[in-house]
Amino acid sequence: MQLFKTPNIRFLKYKYIALAATAVIVLAGVLNVTVFKGLKLGVDFGEGTLLRVKMRTASSEGDIRNLLQTVGLGKSQVQSTGDTNQEFQIRALESAGSGGTAEEQLEAHEELANKIIAALRGDDGAAERARGLVDLNAIDERTLTNLLETSFPGSGPEAARGIIATRNMSGIIADFQELGGIGLKPEIQTFVKEKTYLGKMTVLSRETVGPQVGADLRRKAVQATIWSLLGMLIYIALRFRLEYGVAAVFTLFQDVLITMTVYSFTNREINLPIIAGILTIVGFSINDTIVIFDRVRENQKLLRGKPLEEVMNVSLNQCLGRTIITSGTVLLTVGALFLFGGDVINDFAFLMLIGTVEGVYSTIYLSCPVVLFWQKWFKPKNAGRR
Amino acid sequence: MKKNLQWKVVLALAAIGLAIFLAYPYDDTKVRRGLDLKGGIHLVLQVITDDSINIETDQEIGRLEELLKKNSITFGKVTKEGLGRIAVQGVLADQEGKTRDLFDEYTRDWDYSFTGDRANLVLKPLVVQFLRDQSVSQAKETIDNRINTFGVAEPLIQRQGADQIVVELPGVDDPDRVKELIKVTAVLEWKLVKAGPAADEATLLQPYNGVVPEDAEVIKGDPKRGQGGFYLVDKVATVTGKDLRTIRRTTDEWNSPAVSFTLNSDGGARFEQVTGANVGKQIAIILDKKVQSAPVVESRIDRAQGGVIRGRFTPEEADDLVVVLKAGALPAGIKYLEERTIGPSLGADSVRQGFLAGLVAVVAVMTFMVFFYKISGLNAVAALILNVVILFGALAYFKAALTLPGIAGIILAIGMAVDANVLIFERIKEELALGKGVASAVTQGFSRAFTAIFDSNLTTIISAVFLFQFGTGPIRGYAVTLTISLVANLFTAVFISHLLFDLTVKKSAKKLSI
Repeated sequence: MQLFKTPNIRFLKYKYIALAATAVIVLAGVLNVTVFKGLKLGVDFGEGTLLRVKMRTASSEGDIRNLLQTVGLGKSQVQSTGDTNQEFQIRALESAGSGGTAEEQLEAHEELANKIIAALRGDDGAAERARGLVDLNAIDERTLTNLLETSFPGSGPEAARGIIATRNMSGIIADFQELGGIGLKPEIQTFVKEKTYLGKMTVLSRETVGPQVGADLRRKAVQATIWSLLGMLIYIALRFRLEYGVAAVFTLFQDVLITMTVYSFTNREINLPIIAGILTIVGFSINDTIVIFDRVRENQKLLRGKPLEEVMNVSLNQCLGRTIITSGTVLLTVGALFLFGGDVINDFAFLMLIGTVEGVYSTIYLSCPVVLFWQKWFKPKNAGRR
Repeated sequence: MKKNLQWKVVLALAAIGLAIFLAYPYDDTKVRRGLDLKGGIHLVLQVITDDSINIETDQEIGRLEELLKKNSITFGKVTKEGLGRIAVQGVLADQEGKTRDLFDEYTRDWDYSFTGDRANLVLKPLVVQFLRDQSVSQAKETIDNRINTFGVAEPLIQRQGADQIVVELPGVDDPDRVKELIKVTAVLEWKLVKAGPAADEATLLQPYNGVVPEDAEVIKGDPKRGQGGFYLVDKVATVTGKDLRTIRRTTDEWNSPAVSFTLNSDGGARFEQVTGANVGKQIAIILDKKVQSAPVVESRIDRAQGGVIRGRFTPEEADDLVVVLKAGALPAGIKYLEERTIGPSLGADSVRQGFLAGLVAVVAVMTFMVFFYKISGLNAVAALILNVVILFGALAYFKAALTLPGIAGIILAIGMAVDANVLIFERIKEELALGKGVASAVTQGFSRAFTAIFDSNLTTIISAVFLFQFGTGPIRGYAVTLTISLVANLFTAVFISHLLFDLTVKKSAKKLSI
């Protein structure tokens, strides 16, 4: 099967339009990031507290926000995740006080997280606790084991493991009936029912990053990026020519900028998986660019005397089938991640979707023209013949 | 079969066999799941290394006073001037030479200079650095011990940078308890009580005219142990945590949790002597400068007998006290810089959904390859599967953890593996279109596509190496899986796939299913 019989599209005729379009998009992104919305840094890079909670029964972002408002934390960002209306992600935006040492600030963030949890719990379970019951949706495995072991010596660890595993399946036990199918002895089941209660929520995850680590991560991410770009530039310059290295790195920058531009218009946060996503886009982009450059390098030997622009056009056309097929399979992969990957992966997959589509464009319209421009500016006599 | 080909088959089978051997049977112990997939606690803490310099400075002051007295040198007083800075004041001019000699001989870790009657001692920078470094490694060791005694499967505790320690505890679901367990300094002391408990310091010091006696200090009770108020206790401890021989959780006569201990011979002797001389008085048990309890000495405590620490503990608190006392005290304070708790259900969710998505993606890509490239597509599919097998074998071998960013790395690598096959196949098609024979088209296709595949993979590996070098935890995970898969990629896409063509396509074949 052949995707294109004899493609002969004059890609490079449109190089000025393409560059202008790129410039406009990037400018819009830079404006959006610097003047308007700014990038939403996740707790990984900024500092602060991120909580994920699961409620025992369905709730809504509004309800959660109302609960937080009563304790003066109404500014917190609340986002419903998952599709049962039970899971929520809360990012405390209230300043935890900028004074004090790094640790005091971290403790202030922690304090904030505790306050949020307390506010969401409200007086849930107060009556039960007064009777000496413990929250089965908050207890840890060790403590539960101890509790069971005192009344059922020898079978505590296994029973506790079973109960906790059941809780881990969905994150929260909604009803004691759920404990029916895990082979607990009836007396243990009765005991659990009598000695514990089911709290209205559990904390699925809780992340607090102090200012020092946030700054550290930002610095290291920048450092890693610069060095790896430099490494690629040098390798490509050695294997091809300097201008190819420059063009490849320029294309990468552009890929990242455009992807981040689109991303910045959505309400998604930048966290570590997103950084991995950006790196992945960079990886695909450099791969695409090199495939084209390799073909140009080969064709320069075959098509001696032809102007470089034409050689590039031929190469782009020859590689078109491959570009589309490869990008297509990548789209299949990240499309699957986007649709089925779950909340944590969703942002990552979304970013990859933008990056992949954009990568096809940049491979064709950016990598080659930059080489052409470079030669025009720095080697006027040779222009078009190398 | 040609001899050359035979060797290639052997090499291919050996590589596959090794990978399967390393990764099979696949389970959690083979390829560790990172915290974001498994759930657990991730802590970054900083050792307050200044503490160790402070301790050294304080100890040196004591040693200096003793040294000077022993050598009958007259001096005003020895004062602490700051971190690693000491001044000896009022040294007589005619004794300066002798003092210098003493310093030369006995305080080699300190630089000194004289200004008038004052000797200034400064801890040498190299020693400062050594002490700081040592306090971090000792802290790491102590935390290691505590975590091991507490019992956590596969903990990861490692130093990061100059003074940070990263603690990763997979599967742990009680973060607050563990944080406390790591953070307590755990300096345990028994000190005789001079007065107290009193509601505030003023009342406590009334009999002493409001001044703390030179041989005593004021210590607060630990409210968590039901000890409000203030105590005036001896400055010098009778025995400390270092004198403990055995320690274990027990219950007291009212059946509430407590901790029992016995002392080593040295400490036991001192304990015997002090308790014998102070029957009827209180002796305070102090943990990290907070009084846990202050029982009355009822009789001389025999050295072999040991004692019990009470303090309204919960069973968990008693357990934890045993853990920290067994593991020893921290050499310096620590503070937390970062805390992440990932619940196991969130990780499980990510894994379940990630697995489903991955499966859909792989099946879709493979279907596409077979649909598009027919039988040749099957070669690509086989190469892809092998790539993943080798990846997991290598992950198991390097004991690398699989994290979400790591999975991103795998996606990139698989994308590039597919791309390598596409490049080769498209190239073979081009050669066929030029009218070449099947066998030569295959050979040409592979060799022409090779430079592109090699350059693109190597460029990405180069960037991954830098990411590994300069990146932090999760970025490193990404770099590791990416590098491994790309190396595997060069092997499977170029070598294995070519081999499969060689094995399946006859030399005389007229048509190629591609």
